[in-house]
Amino acid sequence: MPEPAPSPGALSSGAPSPGALSSGAPSPGALSSGAPSPGALSSGAPSPGALAPGDPSSGSAPAPPRGRRPYRFDPGAVATHAVLSLGALVMVFPFLWQLLTAFKTMPEAVRVPPTILPEALNWAAFEKVFTAVPFREMLTNSLLNTAGRTLGQLVFCSLAAYAFARLQFRGKNVLFAVFLSVLMVPPQLLVLPQHEIMQQLGLLNTVPALFLPGMFSAFGTFLLRQFFLALPRELEEAARIDGAGPFRIFWSIMLPLVRPALAALAVITAMWSWNDLLWPLVVNTDPSKAPVSAGLVSLEGQFMTDYPVMMAGSVIASLPMLILYVLLQRHFVQGIALSGSKG
Amino acid sequence: MAVFPSTAAAEQAERRTGAGGRGGSGARSGAGAGPGTTGRGSQRIAYLFIAPIAVGFLVFYIWPLLETFWFSFTSFGAFGGNSWVGGENYGRVVQDVTVGKALGNTLLYMVMGLMTLPVAIVLADLMNRRGLRGVPVYRALYFVPFVTLPAAVGLVWNWLYNGDFGMVNEALSWIGVDGRYWVSDPSTAVYAIGLVMIWSHVGYYLIIFTAGIKAIPQEVYEAAEIDGAGPVRRFFRITVPLLSPSIFFASVICVINSLQQFDLIFVMMSPENPALGETQSVVTLFFKWAFDENSQGAAAALAFLLMLLIAALTYLQFRFQKRWVHYA
Amino acid sequence: MRRRTLLAGALAAAPAAAGAATGCSAGGASARTSDGRTLISYGMWDPLQVAGMKKIIKAFEAEHPKISVKVQVTPFTSYWTTLKTAMRGGSAPDVFWMNAVNLQLYASEGVLQPLDPYLERDKFDMGVHPEELLRMYTHEGTHFAMPKDFDTIGLWYNKELFDKAGIKYPDESWTWDTVRDAAAELTDRRTGVHGIAAEMHNQYTYYNTIAQAGGHVIRDGRSGFGDPRTIDGLRFWTDLIDRGHSPSQSAMADTRGRQLYLSERVAMNYDLSAMASQMYASPAIKDHGGVAVLPKGRERGTTIHGLANAISGKSRNTEAAWQFVKFLGSRKAAEIQAREGVTISSYEGTQDTWVKSMPEFDLKVFTDMLDYAVPYPASKHTAVWENLQPQLLGGPFTGKGGIEDASRTLARQMDLALEQEK
Repeated sequence: MPEPAPSPGALSSGAPSPGALSSGAPSPGALSSGAPSPGALSSGAPSPGALAPGDPSSGSAPAPPRGRRPYRFDPGAVATHAVLSLGALVMVFPFLWQLLTAFKTMPEAVRVPPTILPEALNWAAFEKVFTAVPFREMLTNSLLNTAGRTLGQLVFCSLAAYAFARLQFRGKNVLFAVFLSVLMVPPQLLVLPQHEIMQQLGLLNTVPALFLPGMFSAFGTFLLRQFFLALPRELEEAARIDGAGPFRIFWSIMLPLVRPALAALAVITAMWSWNDLLWPLVVNTDPSKAPVSAGLVSLEGQFMTDYPVMMAGSVIASLPMLILYVLLQRHFVQGIALSGSKG
Repeated sequence: MAVFPSTAAAEQAERRTGAGGRGGSGARSGAGAGPGTTGRGSQRIAYLFIAPIAVGFLVFYIWPLLETFWFSFTSFGAFGGNSWVGGENYGRVVQDVTVGKALGNTLLYMVMGLMTLPVAIVLADLMNRRGLRGVPVYRALYFVPFVTLPAAVGLVWNWLYNGDFGMVNEALSWIGVDGRYWVSDPSTAVYAIGLVMIWSHVGYYLIIFTAGIKAIPQEVYEAAEIDGAGPVRRFFRITVPLLSPSIFFASVICVINSLQQFDLIFVMMSPENPALGETQSVVTLFFKWAFDENSQGAAAALAFLLMLLIAALTYLQFRFQKRWVHYA
Repeated sequence: MRRRTLLAGALAAAPAAAGAATGCSAGGASARTSDGRTLISYGMWDPLQVAGMKKIIKAFEAEHPKISVKVQVTPFTSYWTTLKTAMRGGSAPDVFWMNAVNLQLYASEGVLQPLDPYLERDKFDMGVHPEELLRMYTHEGTHFAMPKDFDTIGLWYNKELFDKAGIKYPDESWTWDTVRDAAAELTDRRTGVHGIAAEMHNQYTYYNTIAQAGGHVIRDGRSGFGDPRTIDGLRFWTDLIDRGHSPSQSAMADTRGRQLYLSERVAMNYDLSAMASQMYASPAIKDHGGVAVLPKGRERGTTIHGLANAISGKSRNTEAAWQFVKFLGSRKAAEIQAREGVTISSYEGTQDTWVKSMPEFDLKVFTDMLDYAVPYPASKHTAVWENLQPQLLGGPFTGKGGIEDASRTLARQMDLALEQEK
């Protein structure tokens, strides 16, 4: 069965062949030697099909076994549901408890035995979050940080990726090898000098300091390059004959074709940016210039044992990403299947 | 017969485009790109495309990498200026007992991190059950912890683990088990944190394994079923071996990620926690040295040690993959 | 009349402002307000003290109409890193809070303005501040900061729990043995009340008992944790945990010793004088809480620490900054601070205001203990070896035993760290 299933994956919708996805490979180049994640894209979770019951996944699978017993009681399925539901409960309960605690008063929260529901919808903890630390500014900082990194990566990585994939120039292979090597360096190794640079630029405790280094990503470049590589050459040639310049070709012909990859990259970058903690702690110690992740740490330092306040803070801080996830689940799953480790 | 349609597709795609990250073939694809792409002018344009990110890399990644190397041989003045101290920082890294402890803890986090994989494989297999309804819902729910920011996850679990009022102890009391101070008892804290790591990453590996399992043709299972293999046997004889490339990929990622643990530990362990020494990872120690104790030089040396460790373990995994990874 | 004093103040301040102006031709513009006054910035971390500081600044500005002071509050958690980077970038506040942990580092690196020339010129008598504090803020014989307030540690107890157990309240006659016996008596497994909170905290607990045992934390650049007497001072606490007369540190990381005392779940707690106002705010403790001097071991001892005001070595307005620091070190400022009731002013004779502000508590014990108070130990890189303590002592403080080994390991590690300071 050499021919892959026509991929239902959204990623391929713009790309002309399912191969486009497969060659997308997992992040670090070294891993591509047989890593399975191409399959993750073409036949896995992200597909719109995944949302329909029954998963028409690998097109090769014959239908009969499924249709054979549509309404029969199946003890195996019940047991499977039991295990999976229990697991789902474990996954979701902490968030539920977090939300419930946030609405409680402190005496209510530490009652023994604990009460499940708060006596009243008590917003005091949420108010405290905003008065104790500059949480409103922090949310804005997080937003700007996320937007800055994401836009930066989309622009810079797609430009470079296009050049690496479709243009010819001297030193390309060496340059690409250097880019790949950046991918291998653990980020902690760079934190100290990056901090120095920010200081020399006079950017410590400013919002740009949060997103500046994160705008350039080796992973993003590598990922997009794989997608550009898979596009058919005919498109470009036709455009060139029509007299379009390289930038026109890039912007109006090639870029729209890798839109699904851009979406996956955008979403995954947004997630890492929003959640990042180490770098903001290092570079912006001024609370009014810190993002919410660092804000939660200072909230913890101030309230130590006032759990309703800390839970309220966590709810607010994690809500934006959760909403984005609910809205763009597909892209999240794709981006994460593609990225592996922090980009 | 290719068991992995997608892998075959990858090879095919590479052949078609002449790409694949290997230097030589990349050049081939460009050479045939026709007139207009090879001229001097287009070279300049290519450099223009690459220039922004190249500058960014140079300033924020490549130069800092060299600088860290230099830092690791210097001592920092608290208010600027550094002086050459030779191998003294590396000496401290070797001598300091907290480094050994942090290294041990980090390896323990790695082992616990790897335990996420079997959990995720079993879950993926369960979700692969034919005709099972609601799978997308399960998958979405299992994935939520991974999307949530680790700082918030740490706070929530600290609350659940609280020795006096936490839900974990409450739940244990229902089945008659005595609770304890999970995150502040030196003998349990590291495992308590490890469990949260597993909890928050299981959804990610689930996605990888789901994709891998989907790529296993149904016929293989059906043939086994006809031969009378039960679900357990099918799991170990078909799912696990055919999934081994996915498992390999996941374990490489998992090792890299768990060796860099920081956020959760930093948030969950307050400075007065008596279990602090038992939970510190290499990266939290690095952070403390670099930004709390003015030992940037030693911190840089420690970071290099971490990079070596990651490189070595990744190399070993690739080295031994032939023993157990079955590529079709 | 009023007008004239203002004018006089202006004249007095004029040379200062002029001096400042000539000294800062480089960046003078940034250090002026729109109406031409010299602007100095003042860095501090405690939000509770902002109100009092604003009052002090108002009084200062009335006396020095040519100087304007702007307060910058940075939370303690990021105060020192922010200050450090600001120092390197040259944007540090002109005057800022200093503590004992950081003084030697800042002084030895030359980023603080030595006060001695000003003290001599203006004949300012530093003798009005406690000697231990002055020593804390002196580096190689030079004063580097003006003491502001101080804290000592006292034994806080719960009269109701003492009455219930039928034990006499703590007083000067108490020794370590009395504490041990009382802790045993006061511990009640049924109600979950513990006799004492043996929290793993250097300033609140073991630094005090180390001094009382005749041990030391640091002397002549060497660690004292290998000294048998120092270990006795630590064992005092771990024994209380091992015997079950105190919650273990695991429990106290989740609910701190102070919280346990406030919620009446421990009968005794060693805590800061500065916490008096917080104790006072709790109705139960205000009603039946008490405080006594720390019980005697081989000798008497309590840890004294205090904050001080320092002038940045990179300040462009050192004269104006000095005028402000001088004012902060004066009786007038000390009294305003004392009235706020947050901290004990270090200026001699102003403590009474604070002592009398909470008549239900015998706060005089905190000033009585000055006679034998031991300065908070510090070296150039204090944080390095302070961070080692919770890491290495955690086990023994959770009832796992081995305090002697842990303390000796700590001594070795601390000596390594101290070696690196040189």
